[in-house]
Amino acid sequence: MELKLDFVLREIAGDTLLVPAGKTALDLNGMLTLNEVGAFLWKSLPDAADEEALVQGILREYDAQEAQVRADVSEFLGKLRELGIL
Amino acid sequence: MDEIRSAEPRLSRYIHAKAAQRGYPCAGTFELTPRCNFDCKMCYVHLSKQEQEARGKELTAQQWISMGQQACAEGMVFLLLTGGEPTLRPDFPEIYSALKKMGLMISINSNGYLLRGEILELLRNDPPYRINISLYGTSNETYERLCGIAAYDIVMENVRQLRESGIDVKLNMSVTQENRADLQAVFEQASALGVHTQAASYMFPPVRISGKFGEGFRMRPQEAAQCEVNYNRLRMGRERFCAYAQELAGGVRSKEESGDCEGAQPGEGMRCRAGRSSFWLTWDGKLLPCGMMPEPAADALALGIAEAWRQIHEKVEAIRMPAACQSCAYAHGCHVCAAMCYCETGGYDAPPEYVCQMTRSVFSLTQEASCEEAAKEETWN
Repeated sequence: MELKLDFVLREIAGDTLLVPAGKTALDLNGMLTLNEVGAFLWKSLPDAADEEALVQGILREYDAQEAQVRADVSEFLGKLRELGIL
Repeated sequence: MDEIRSAEPRLSRYIHAKAAQRGYPCAGTFELTPRCNFDCKMCYVHLSKQEQEARGKELTAQQWISMGQQACAEGMVFLLLTGGEPTLRPDFPEIYSALKKMGLMISINSNGYLLRGEILELLRNDPPYRINISLYGTSNETYERLCGIAAYDIVMENVRQLRESGIDVKLNMSVTQENRADLQAVFEQASALGVHTQAASYMFPPVRISGKFGEGFRMRPQEAAQCEVNYNRLRMGRERFCAYAQELAGGVRSKEESGDCEGAQPGEGMRCRAGRSSFWLTWDGKLLPCGMMPEPAADALALGIAEAWRQIHEKVEAIRMPAACQSCAYAHGCHVCAAMCYCETGGYDAPPEYVCQMTRSVFSLTQEASCEEAAKEETWN
């Protein structure tokens, strides 16, 4: 899945931060923070063909209910779209 | 009473709080050079090229980049590039671009004069989080008087260009006897541009370059207090200012309430971020808690950032503010910090009298101004 904005991912003292890179600072003047699953999804995005691939990736990594995973992935992608990242 | 911190994003406050708790540096300042194209009378760091060469060597671009890598490995995510004038270095673009790639939230302190041409292009293509421009007045005459260069028109044009490029700009004003008459105009200028502004009328004695405690180019404490109160009236507006005046007055404890424990209890530790979650790296590679105080210091070039941080962090934890400050009736409205104590007195044991006088004057002048505001409102009603 293609990202429209550039970030550098930093992992500091247990926090995962997305720091705007290049011109992204003009669109988003601040950092974003990801929880563990968010960080997993973020790292999976470049190689994931679609939402379904992300869902399957989570199900392979975590012992979780599929319906919940689908809802969480959808919400995560929705937030990225809202911010103009995806 | 703490506008800047309250305007700071919550995530940033959380990161600093966590870093202070765990003892790692999440924020740093790289003082790229002590040289400057301005010659401001109150500057705490400015050296001419000859003076700088006599005192030491500026870190090279590669050394700054290495310092950035080391600091990132320790947890740095916020970085302020300052000087002198940082953009005076021909290799500023090389240093800036390399640091940006590391995933840092970079702010730049600048007098704004050189932020055009290639530097402006660089910042447009790879914008910083924010540029803090020191605005010294609203006329070429004021600039000439205070900074030795009639730079106002050029600086303002550059600020407009930055804003048109969408880059976040903040205007900082150091208020002295030479430019205090311009305070209101600076504030209005910033409002017209839609940028945040911050004015400070307390000037630190430039101990790092003069070696003299309690001396510097600055107003009497009562005059500096008057400027602070004037600025508070401008930025707060009538309603908030009157509420703030009430808070100050209501919070003043009587001598009986505050207790007669001067010197009887150990003072508090440092309350700010210096040496607890942030550091300052001087142009010649010394790691300090804060740029205003020359000690405690550690040689980051020889020791590396991790060990230099460990050393100053440990020393900062041991610093105690004057016990008298803890029981002072004006403590709730005082800006005293360890750097002020050191620069005013040469140590941390005694209250910095200049700051004490300034604070007391801020209290009384705030009440006077509040009464004026109330009288005005009554007249209009």
